[in-house]
Amino acid sequence: MEILDGYLSAVKRCLPRKQRTDIVAELREDLLSQLEARQEELGRPLTDAEQYGVLMQHGDPMIVARRYWPNRRSLSVGWELIGPELFPAYLFVLGLNLAITVGVIPLSLLIYHAPITVQPFILPVVAQIVCVTAVFILLNLVRLKFPQQWIYPPAQLASVIPLQRWYTVSGLVACSVLTLWWLAIPYFQFLVLGPSAGELKLAPVWHRYYVPVLLLFLAGTGQRAVSVVRPDWTWLLPTSRFLISGVGAVVMFFFRTHPLVVVDASARNLEHAEKLARSTNAWMGWGLFGPWLWIYLAVGALFYAWYSRPYLRRLLNARQDRVRPAHQLNGVL
Amino acid sequence: MTNGTTSSAEVLENLKLELRRGCLIVAVLAQLRIEQYGYTLRKSLADDGLAIDEGTLYPLLRRLETQGLLVSQWREEDKRNKRFYRLSPEGELILAQLLEEWQNINTSLNRILQEV
Repeated sequence: MEILDGYLSAVKRCLPRKQRTDIVAELREDLLSQLEARQEELGRPLTDAEQYGVLMQHGDPMIVARRYWPNRRSLSVGWELIGPELFPAYLFVLGLNLAITVGVIPLSLLIYHAPITVQPFILPVVAQIVCVTAVFILLNLVRLKFPQQWIYPPAQLASVIPLQRWYTVSGLVACSVLTLWWLAIPYFQFLVLGPSAGELKLAPVWHRYYVPVLLLFLAGTGQRAVSVVRPDWTWLLPTSRFLISGVGAVVMFFFRTHPLVVVDASARNLEHAEKLARSTNAWMGWGLFGPWLWIYLAVGALFYAWYSRPYLRRLLNARQDRVRPAHQLNGVL
Repeated sequence: MTNGTTSSAEVLENLKLELRRGCLIVAVLAQLRIEQYGYTLRKSLADDGLAIDEGTLYPLLRRLETQGLLVSQWREEDKRNKRFYRLSPEGELILAQLLEEWQNINTSLNRILQEV
């Protein structure tokens, strides 16, 4: 009943606190009855995939749980942008992101001995609000178009849910484009510097971090390519992305501690080029490679670590099972 | 044209949902004149042609219980704990009034349809 328990624990997390135990007990009873009915129909125990099929019909844990909430608020501007099922999750994710951003930026400013002003907060806060809202509007659209798809599958069930090919293929295309962009940077510096490429050049720090970042891009592309061919290797996505995001967070944290561009010796107006270098470094340090990037990667690493847990547990259990006969033999001998 | 057809289908689907919503409450209250637990209630509703998914039924049962129309009790049956629901005395009164209202609406609707 590992799959059923996983499903119920995912529902439980999103239920009103006071009624959680009662609702879950009732849902468990109903789902057990359904699983038993299906088992009787087939005349044999159900496979993991068949159990998952019954739960799939029951619905996305988050959506199921939200139906028990009395206040069904939503985000609407004439038409529904974020429905009542997703709205509490939207508020939670937005609140969490803003709290992390508002907490981390002053720390970063203190570490780099920069004055604490309102300006460094504006872009990351606005970016968080825009990005999180856009993602949830998109999720709402997906939910309306494909009501059968689960938006947030519980970690315990991830092993029985095959990856959607369209999702992996679109990720592969995006990651390949990013890898090609990174590969082209040494030859076409305007891909990073834009029109300032004539007066500025990439700082020496790029030499140190270029290959590690390239390897991360290649690992991400490789994972997606393998997942296209083997969508049943469900362990690959969370474990590889946990490693990629974790290493990426560390690399990006240190990458932005150095000036990222310097004045090119061939610049005609040195004074103007130095000013441009300062503003470009500020723009890159707080924009393209700003703290949001390593925070995003660190949060991603934690997220994928959570999804990797069941695989790790299974691996450890499998090892123990392999060891057990030896213990038994020791006992006999 | 396709958009027009799709939107008509969506409108029809929404109207059917609205129509079903009120009817389902009456059907659930009527079924619970006899004590049942969620799974058997859902099966009996489906057998009578009013299929309802669990995600809708259980929150509805809770709401009706909060409103005092149903009472519930956890009891063991077939070695498993199950929550049994039945109509409360207040629920019986409300159901009778709802059924009367239903008959009135039905009569009016039939009259309107005959006029046309």
